[in-house]
Amino acid sequence: MEETADASGGPHPLARIPRLLSLPVPRDPRLTLVALSFIACCLLEPRPSRADTLAEIRARGRLIYGGDMEGGGPYVYPDPNDPREVAGFEVELMDALGRELGVKAEFSQGPWDRLLEVLRAGRIDLVINGYEWTEARARDFLATRPYYTYQLQLMARRDGPIGSWHDLGASKPGGGSWRVGVLNSSAADTFADESGGPHVEVVRFDGGTDAMRAVENGQIDATLQDLPTVLFYRGRYPTLKLAGPPVGKGDYVIYVRRGDEPLRDALDRGLGRLIDSGELRWIYERHGLWNDAQRALSDGTGAKSQASRMPRPEGLELLWRYRSRLLAAAWVTIVLSVTSMPLAMALGLLIALGRMYGPRPLRRLLAAYVELLRGTPLMLQLFVLFYLLKLPVWVAGIGGLAINYSAYEAEIYRAGLQAIPAGQMEAALALGMSRQLALRRVIVPQAVRIVIPPVTNDFIALFKDTSVCSVITLVELTKQYSILGNSTGGWLEFALATSLLYLAMSLPLSWFSRWSERRWEASGAKGGAPA
Amino acid sequence: MIEVNDLVKRYGTLEVLRGVTLSVDPGEVAAIIGPSGSGKSTFLRCLNGLETFQGGTVTIDGLHWGVETPASARGRILHAVRGRVGMVFQSFNLFPHRTVLQNVTEAPIHVLGLDPDQAEARARRLLDRVGLADRLHAMPRHLSGGQQQRVAIARVLAMEPRAILFDEPTSALDPRMTAEVLAVMADLARDGLTMIVVTHAMRFARQVAHTVHVFGDGRVIESGPPAQIFEEPHEEATRLLLSEVQAA
Repeated sequence: MEETADASGGPHPLARIPRLLSLPVPRDPRLTLVALSFIACCLLEPRPSRADTLAEIRARGRLIYGGDMEGGGPYVYPDPNDPREVAGFEVELMDALGRELGVKAEFSQGPWDRLLEVLRAGRIDLVINGYEWTEARARDFLATRPYYTYQLQLMARRDGPIGSWHDLGASKPGGGSWRVGVLNSSAADTFADESGGPHVEVVRFDGGTDAMRAVENGQIDATLQDLPTVLFYRGRYPTLKLAGPPVGKGDYVIYVRRGDEPLRDALDRGLGRLIDSGELRWIYERHGLWNDAQRALSDGTGAKSQASRMPRPEGLELLWRYRSRLLAAAWVTIVLSVTSMPLAMALGLLIALGRMYGPRPLRRLLAAYVELLRGTPLMLQLFVLFYLLKLPVWVAGIGGLAINYSAYEAEIYRAGLQAIPAGQMEAALALGMSRQLALRRVIVPQAVRIVIPPVTNDFIALFKDTSVCSVITLVELTKQYSILGNSTGGWLEFALATSLLYLAMSLPLSWFSRWSERRWEASGAKGGAPA
Repeated sequence: MIEVNDLVKRYGTLEVLRGVTLSVDPGEVAAIIGPSGSGKSTFLRCLNGLETFQGGTVTIDGLHWGVETPASARGRILHAVRGRVGMVFQSFNLFPHRTVLQNVTEAPIHVLGLDPDQAEARARRLLDRVGLADRLHAMPRHLSGGQQQRVAIARVLAMEPRAILFDEPTSALDPRMTAEVLAVMADLARDGLTMIVVTHAMRFARQVAHTVHVFGDGRVIESGPPAQIFEEPHEEATRLLLSEVQAA
């Protein structure tokens, strides 16, 4: 009932957290933020799941399973016959499992590499989305018996030099390493990372089809993916071939939260019945996925039997082990921001000057430029630069950020320029200056002072927007957080470390901003006290 | 030195100048007085191209332009005019991001291409002349209004102009600061500088100007030596204006 009291007015509930914990509220609002994010992280800490998820599912009559339908064929994807619905072999499997449990199975969309976090947060009952059994995952979650045995398939260009996975063991003709695209945090990711050898560079994508397109574009040499995905999408990429026989092998399992043993056992029993009755085989045959490797499913053991209980490193030990990866990713973030922001500022100034003092057609053109770039998402712009214009990844990343932010900087400069009194331009012109000279010597230097705070603000925003570059395979800090969280299960540790790294990088920016503002002030005071 | 012939200025349908004809000889100090909205400032701003006009011609120091002059040629002419004719504004318009000294050296260095040392020597001399030798490195916002206006005058003088246009130079100042600025202007007048001064400072017009032009409703109502204008004005409008000023 306290909630209703809150809703009727009073401070935002979040604002009360520090007080409730009787924490001193720091003066810098960002320190408050750190405190809050720390608290949030603590709340994310795995907690015992509610009394009995299975009973809850039965009571509500619905079983909610998480998956990602983006590039999700043949697992789960928008039904071509009814795009409001989802189709796929996992959808049919879940429908069958739902019947076994006497409830209706319902799909819930989530980003593939974050599905376990969604599960942990309690928003879904289970994850089924081509998630293979891994030791790290089995430590933090409960896995069912395997429902499918996957193999990994290499895809390369038909006209390319790669004939099989074996070819990647030799060095690349002409130097450099083979760039092999994988789905971030997938089995192929682990396999390529561990078995790729010294000549393989792993490039991580958010979607399997993005990687296939990148092979077609020549941005990477090959892609290693789960066989079902390859079989499903190969028709769309006629310039690609299946390079050699499948490699690697593993089991897809369903994950539920720890403590949900009753649900896991019920799912296991349901799977057993579907396997024994041949219904599962029938589903796979309809999708062209049945092969001899699936015969082991009826053993019910699969890879799970190898389950080990080795404790995973935790806390500082975990962070120390992966420090080089975290720092390398932080470096990528820094390089992206400190190269793109100066470009954005220079470009923005030219645009603002063009919009204010240029000939009319140019003004219109630049106004359209600003509106186009402000009005479309950065992610989409990066997609266009990387996948459609096929620019090299760093050019696309830095260029995309610079172009996107130039539109915002242009508007800031325009406001700054307009804030300079008209008398300044008149005085300069009356002294015989040309318009250009007046801008350069009189107007712009004054406008720059006005725009320092908002531009710094944008710098900090850009700095965090670099995370969007993960869609074009740049592994910056946020992406690395997701990769490491996925592969080790140490979400909490990496969340904290990542936040602290971001903060450590953005605080100097704020200090620089305050310092430069003060410096302008100081230069103004040099002449002594007012008369 | 300055010849204006039948100048017409319109903002849309509003006619601000309705045919102003006026000439100023070299070394002459011309004061322009008149009620607010009579077009005095607009007239002055037409002379160095801060305003365009719709009719008539202007000749300054042999440079001639009018409505018929093509835009490109007009740009060149105006640039040359601004090199020879300075302007002092009511609101000073000093560059707030530069020191007093830099305000004065800015244009000589970047427009005339003067050597910085030379420009600084010139600026120090001029700032000394306007009584600000001790505030060379102050920022404008730390100066009083009167001091700022004197810097503005030094800034214009540094360009060694043939004439200076003063646009109500003391209207933003209190009486004591007004006196400081007018003293500097009187000093310039004694040196034989050509000046056109739009002003409400009647005493200055009377004591320093050679000629007084009375503006009213976009026209020159009456011109003449100050003694005649102030003692025996021919026009009723002039008399009215003077009595209003004296009452105020």
